[in-house]
Amino acid sequence: MSEQKDLLVVEDLNVEFDTYGGVVQAVRGVDFRVAAGETLAIVGESGCGKSVTVQSIMGLIPMPPGRITRGSARLRGHEILGQSRIDGREIRGAQIGMIFQDPMTSLNPTMTIGDQIAEPLQVHRGLSRADAAREAIRLLEVTRIPEAAKRAKQYPFEFSGGMLQRAMIAMAIACKPEILIADEPTTALDVTIQAQILDLLQELQAETGMAIVLITHDLGVVARMADSVAVMYAGKVVERGSVDDIFYRSAHPYTLGLRAAMPSNDPALKQSLQPIEGSPPDLFAPPPGCGYAPRCPHAMVVCESQPAETPLAGTGARDHAAHCWLHHDESPMKPAGLFFRESDASRNEKFEGGSAVEEGRNESRR
Amino acid sequence: MWSFILKRLAQGVITVWFIATATFFAMHNVPGDPLLNDRAMTAAIRANVEAKYGLDKPLGEQYVIYLGNLVRGDFGISFTQENREVNDIIREHFPVSATLGVLAVLFAAAGGVLWGALTALYRNRLPDYVIMFFVILGISVPSFVIAAVSQLALVGVNAALGVTLLPVAGWGTLWHMLLPALVLGMGTMAYLTRLMRSSMLEVISADYVRTAKAKGLPAARIFTKHQLRNAILPVITVLGPSIAAITTGGFVVELVFAIPGLGRYFVQAVQQLDYTVIMGTTVFYGAFLVFMVIVVDVLYGFIDPRVRMQ
Ligand SMILES: Nc1ncnc2c1ncn2[C@@H]1O[C@H](COP(=O)(O)OP(=O)(O)OP(=O)(O)O)[C@@H](O)[C@H]1O
Ligand SMILES: [Mg+2]
Repeated sequence: MSEQKDLLVVEDLNVEFDTYGGVVQAVRGVDFRVAAGETLAIVGESGCGKSVTVQSIMGLIPMPPGRITRGSARLRGHEILGQSRIDGREIRGAQIGMIFQDPMTSLNPTMTIGDQIAEPLQVHRGLSRADAAREAIRLLEVTRIPEAAKRAKQYPFEFSGGMLQRAMIAMAIACKPEILIADEPTTALDVTIQAQILDLLQELQAETGMAIVLITHDLGVVARMADSVAVMYAGKVVERGSVDDIFYRSAHPYTLGLRAAMPSNDPALKQSLQPIEGSPPDLFAPPPGCGYAPRCPHAMVVCESQPAETPLAGTGARDHAAHCWLHHDESPMKPAGLFFRESDASRNEKFEGGSAVEEGRNESRR
Repeated sequence: MWSFILKRLAQGVITVWFIATATFFAMHNVPGDPLLNDRAMTAAIRANVEAKYGLDKPLGEQYVIYLGNLVRGDFGISFTQENREVNDIIREHFPVSATLGVLAVLFAAAGGVLWGALTALYRNRLPDYVIMFFVILGISVPSFVIAAVSQLALVGVNAALGVTLLPVAGWGTLWHMLLPALVLGMGTMAYLTRLMRSSMLEVISADYVRTAKAKGLPAARIFTKHQLRNAILPVITVLGPSIAAITTGGFVVELVFAIPGLGRYFVQAVQQLDYTVIMGTTVFYGAFLVFMVIVVDVLYGFIDPRVRMQ
């Protein structure tokens, strides 16, 4: 929870886009922090601003039409928004690597895989062509691509999707970044390949100690990979905390809704999937209050008119916070299923030793 | 790669044979008679001349002879220019047309790629509007108008300066070639600019360009290695047909600028129904264009690995 421990701190990030229909407020005050070596998962439904958030950090937002109107992102205490270098080193590619959702289109079709991996090495680390080519082959081996030397001379169209994502990873980690941002890295791949890519990311993290920011829709992936989680809704982080906080001590009704909508493959816990009714608010004219209020089963009058700034603090291993009026001292109700501060003492014992990652099941109220 | 080239060459030979056949039968079916001119022609002389050109034989036999000569690279003798071989005409005048054409294609391709990339990079800003205005002009104004107007303008400029900046017509030095080549390539340049613009716009927002940015590469490197090379592919595919457009357009420009190219002979030959010259130049041009298209295809293969590997 100390600043020093946090590698990347994002505060009050606001991003909007000019469109023909008006201004889209895609990201409206996002906060999160990533500690060195940990995995932060950012979850939330389509269009909630996950990609825009990380692309702003990477300086990949097309401007115009995009605009970062407020906020900061600090890497080891240095502001990186609008900067290309800090500490005398390039940020992108050297200090933060990034991989994308669709490996099929994310690589240059007219350049060999080896050359594409060698590029950042030549540019950021000043390696000679030959050295960079050799290092590219080694990186392909590191990402478990068989016959790496031969593969390095091939073009993207000669690779399968899974292999391409491995090559993307090789490229992103080439300069040993401290953070790897992965924007839905497995969404475009089939299930068995997905698992392999996730395993690879975990192995690489163990070897290099890099932090990972993983964007996903899949709570199964979150349970498997993440140390901490930021749940986004309509351009805001509505809840953040450790993975156990999010799975076992959900403090925001939206998090609870997401969990109920997650399929479980444990027959003992057989329960029907419950989709969240309704749809996210219009980001052209976002509501003044909580974006989730219209869909929230517990919404109160205040929820619609004012944003809840009452975070629930200090429960799990890391700071656990939810932006929800139900946690206000004067809230008239404490709906079942949600975790409340008052019950800290009694509930916390129950979770000691038990990890959400292993059990991955919904807690039930008694 | 080699099998690819061989395959394309074989296809090219078939195409040329097809062109030769079509030209032959078309020529023998047009009304009129190449031997009908103002000279007195008795039946005896006529029979002699017909025998000389093989016109007395049945059409099938003529066709076989014609093909046989073609294979040996012999296009025959002109009807209207006594005892002049078509091969000589081509040998003498084609290099002029080819030089003009090649120069025009270079202008068109280089200009198209450059202007197209610029308009895309300055999309919806002043340079884009200015260039696109000229593009629309270049596409809609026919080349003989551009030729005449530019010639007139050059006359004016030369007169105003009191020196001959560039020669207004004729042939001989590189200076003679510049203006006609530019005029000849203008329409194609405009067309290629438009193509390059849309292709570049597509590439600018491509995922792999985002990847290149995420790698922290300098803008110049992203432009050359990731954007330009990919954006140029569609331009190269239409380069073959563009060469065809330019060479055929050459006929008019050669006339306006008094350039002793092959085009002039072709037009003359058509007017005089000079069978052998028409057939010879048509087949020759056809073969040349087919060859250029193959060259372009091979070039494409070098730039786009997906084509090369198949
Ligand atoms: N270039 C752009 N121009 C206009 N609007 C944009 C642009 N990029 C993103 N947006 C808007 O920003 C909002 C957030 O988009 P974003 O891509 O971050 O969603 P996401 O959470 O990543 O969704 P998904 O899970 O589908 O990837 C969307 O409403 C989208 O319409
Ligand atoms: Mg996204």
